[in-house]
Amino acid sequence: MQNDTQARSYDPWPDGVQPSVPIEGYTNTWTHTPSQALFQRPVTRTEATGPVNLWQKLLCGDSNLAKTATGKFAQGLLMQVSGHVLDEDGRPIPNAIVELWQANAAGRYTHALDNREAPLDPNFLGHGRVRSDENGAYSFLTIKPGAYPVPVKDTWWRPPHIHFSVLGPSSLSRLVTQMYFPGDPLNDWDRILQSVGDAAARQRLVATQLHPADVGDEFLGYHHDIVLRGRNATPEA
Amino acid sequence: MEQLTTSRRFPLSQHTIGPFFPADYFQPGDNDLTRVTADAARTIKGEPFMLTGTVMKENREPVANAILELWQADAAGRFRHPEDPAADQADTDFLGWGRAWSTGDGAYSFHSILPGGYQENGILRAPHLNILVMGIGLMRTVETTLFFPAFPEENANDPILSVLPEDLRHMLVMRDDGIVDGVRSYGFDILLRGPRGQETPFFET
Repeated sequence: MQNDTQARSYDPWPDGVQPSVPIEGYTNTWTHTPSQALFQRPVTRTEATGPVNLWQKLLCGDSNLAKTATGKFAQGLLMQVSGHVLDEDGRPIPNAIVELWQANAAGRYTHALDNREAPLDPNFLGHGRVRSDENGAYSFLTIKPGAYPVPVKDTWWRPPHIHFSVLGPSSLSRLVTQMYFPGDPLNDWDRILQSVGDAAARQRLVATQLHPADVGDEFLGYHHDIVLRGRNATPEA
Repeated sequence: MEQLTTSRRFPLSQHTIGPFFPADYFQPGDNDLTRVTADAARTIKGEPFMLTGTVMKENREPVANAILELWQADAAGRFRHPEDPAADQADTDFLGWGRAWSTGDGAYSFHSILPGGYQENGILRAPHLNILVMGIGLMRTVETTLFFPAFPEENANDPILSVLPEDLRHMLVMRDDGIVDGVRSYGFDILLRGPRGQETPFFET
């Protein structure tokens, strides 16, 4: 019983990891972000728990975004993104629900709200949902997304990125984030990525490109671990 | 699993979902917690209720395409999760989780069953609903906990509601909308940004 509290204690977010808001040039962050201080609360059972069989409700399995059901390939550079879903102690998290969505190679989303004049790709929907396996591993095949401009007065561009929504073992491990690509000059000018103050924390949002010798000649390979908030690192007594 | 030696890792930073969260992610029944899936049998344990409300931003303007996620205990106050000592007695026809999205006028709704209260380390938790909101312009998800108007005494002693200053606690108690179309109904509007006393109280995540 004395382990109860320990098992349910979560480390606070490290400094500089959370984005600093509101963001200049991202108007909605000025009108949607709470202005009042968040209330600190103890972690009780209701926060430390979450749905364990969520795959029953959120159906998984679309791990190939690059090819349609009829075998037609999307336009763009084929690539595979893979990694592990882990907690803060590096423990793998099996059965996490990983939702991902991205723009097509021209930087346009297949979404009613994206009206930009860039071509849509009839063979690319741009989203999928996978479930981490017993080792916490996840993987999906897709194409490299394009960059796109943010329609504000002082235009800035979103660098190529992939959105992730991850549902782990508890409400507190819920994570919504974005993954970036190594070496893209737009990364340094992206107001969303740069809202993360800590350089090492920003670097953790950038995937690692795998050596082609380790991937083969079919697609490029990127490795990206998704680390969710986890139990306190203090060993149990 | 052996190759993955446990080592200290840092959690990834949160980001907004942006404007393009895939519409296909929503399937019929996602906001209905009374069934595990749209074609599953409805749980027979607990009284059904409906929660409706509006998500708003600054100046009380509606927020379209906000994503809301609900997490709650079953009718007997149990969670089907290893952290609950009574998890093996939890209702197997109840997942406890659902997702809703707000329409053009900011409206959202959930269907569920009334959660039970429960004892935790000798402290009584009032029946409650955990709500998470994400959306455009929200770089971090926000979370809050809603309480039922029928339990003033339990609410007054609830350790989480008591974290709030006394004058704000009523803000996390849902509105009793009576019986609508034969279903017990509650209302809760979420104001993401506003002055103290109007902005919805949110908790550190």
